[in-house]
Amino acid sequence: MRAPIGLRVASRRHALGISQAALARRAGISASYLNLIERNKRHVGGSLLLRLAAELGVEVGELSGDSEHRLIAEVEETLADPVLAGTTPPSAHELVAQQPAAAAALVQLHRAYLGATASADDYADRLRSDPLLAQLLHQILSGITAVRSNAEILEEVPDLDEAERGRFVADITAEMRRLSDVARSLIAQFDVDARARRFSPMRELDDLIFERNNYFAALEDAGEALRAEIEAAGPFGEAALTARLADGFGVGVRRTPEREADAEGFPRPYHFDPARRVMSFHAGATLATRQFQLARLYGELSAADVLEREVAGAQLSSAVSQRLTYRALGSYLAGAVVFPYARFLGDAEACRYDVEALRQAYGASFEQVAHRLVTLRKPGAEGLPFGFLRSDPAGRLTKHFPLPGLPLPSAGHACPRWVIYGAFGATGSVQRQIVQFADGSRYLFVARAQARPGGGFTDRAVPTSIMLACDVLQADRTVYGAGLELGDSRHDVPVGPSCRLCLRRDCTDRQEEAYMAGGVPAAVRAPLVPRRFESGADD
Amino acid sequence: MAVDVLIAEDEPSILKSLDFILHRAGWSVETITDGDAVIGAIRRHRPRVVVLDVMLPRRSGFDVLKQIRADALLKDLPVLILTAKGQAQDRRTAEELGADRFITKPYANAEVVDAVRELMQRARV
Repeated sequence: MRAPIGLRVASRRHALGISQAALARRAGISASYLNLIERNKRHVGGSLLLRLAAELGVEVGELSGDSEHRLIAEVEETLADPVLAGTTPPSAHELVAQQPAAAAALVQLHRAYLGATASADDYADRLRSDPLLAQLLHQILSGITAVRSNAEILEEVPDLDEAERGRFVADITAEMRRLSDVARSLIAQFDVDARARRFSPMRELDDLIFERNNYFAALEDAGEALRAEIEAAGPFGEAALTARLADGFGVGVRRTPEREADAEGFPRPYHFDPARRVMSFHAGATLATRQFQLARLYGELSAADVLEREVAGAQLSSAVSQRLTYRALGSYLAGAVVFPYARFLGDAEACRYDVEALRQAYGASFEQVAHRLVTLRKPGAEGLPFGFLRSDPAGRLTKHFPLPGLPLPSAGHACPRWVIYGAFGATGSVQRQIVQFADGSRYLFVARAQARPGGGFTDRAVPTSIMLACDVLQADRTVYGAGLELGDSRHDVPVGPSCRLCLRRDCTDRQEEAYMAGGVPAAVRAPLVPRRFESGADD
Repeated sequence: MAVDVLIAEDEPSILKSLDFILHRAGWSVETITDGDAVIGAIRRHRPRVVVLDVMLPRRSGFDVLKQIRADALLKDLPVLILTAKGQAQDRRTAEELGADRFITKPYANAEVVDAVRELMQRARV
């Protein structure tokens, strides 16, 4: 079907109030030729179509009908959806020609419907795999089984004596009471879920850190005061911390061969028992972990008022957000104690942000140092701006601090080309790369993967990978920029944020189709021999 | 001494009612609640039929079933599996592991009695 270009030219010309002769003159053709074009008696294309479009002030696509073609294709796709099977669909061509706005609305609705179906599938998956729900369901089925079985005995066995009857009735009553509790916690669970979907607590914490630029002055001040107290007991370290905890709070520290479960049953590498006032460390906990966690405990015990004030001032919407924030700020405070701001900044500058060197100087882990580096944002005494990411070996990002401009994903996974993943192949050594995003922005990525040491052969932890990112313009201030051609972008690794958000069509490592707002994504996986696949029964 | 039925189930009130209805159907019954102790109890009581719940503490009913089928002396012992979760997948797993019968909770008492009776007959053959 030839698109009625002539009709569109004529109606646009009428709308603008231009005569046929005037438009013909401006487009450099005779009035009679334009007349033939407008009556669809002459084919028009190429540069003439471009000139006509320019004179009429419209896109070529609008005249040639290309935009319409796209809409027609989308309407056809919509009408072919199996959900419409058994109906007599209208012709997509006619619908678009007669009611373009209605056709566009139909397509938009269909897209929204596909999106809703996809999220319903997600929720169904979640329900199937939710361990808490599975446990509650099991309790309900067990309770019903007991009640039904006991009730049947009462009903069907005529010769029960009083004592037996009493026992079965008591069992039913007890089971019913338990079932009520289970039902109540099931309902509470759904209630919590519904609220959690509105305000993600992790999201609230992220927003707070972003808003405060990851710098908390009150915690820095408190950290300095605590450090001075600890150093009064001896040179800073595990011994001085242990002494201060014993003197100030009657807290003992011990090492255990096995991991101890906390109140939730989670086997932790370290654990504080507030009732017995004992901090236990599993045998595999490193010196860096012990030092940091003792500082964290000392901070939580001595500066609860400071932490409470910060959390109260943050206006968080839920108890979970408050708990996560309190915990995060407690770790921040520990960082301020272990790495005093001014000294740490000076040392970092002096060794050009060499994380390994800073680890040695402070008896800390790569992650602790990297984490402290991103908090060097004190106004007037800033360090180099870094972004921070942590990944597990499944590629899932488990912790992040953003760097303005750099699109660090907050969850899910990142681009498979990022060195945060490559580092898993060289566990224990620092890897680096210069990357370039599709918009031309360039960054230095530095990553190191490490397995936490276990307490024995059978106690092995999965490794994690930590990555720092900084703008390539500042990479020469770091030891990691040395020897790299920072000014030459030809050898950059072309990357994206994640496949779904990446525009690079030419990427050989693409794993997933890009999500294009409004457009149909290009096919990533296809048979070797190209072929067309129709959706639904086409005629 | 040998018993007719060994019940392995950890929910006390379900165990009590199963014990009662199987007794009443005329069989001698022993009970056990710990998954790890089931094999020992089978060796000790030499039951003709085992009623085995899937969700047992310490060792799952499936694991116990696998052990039974792998044991030269016990491999032909008739086993009735009880489960309260993941119906379709559990049924497949039970079949693969060689369960003789499979009943999902909540059941009618008569279902269990009928199933045990059928397995008793099979045991006699």
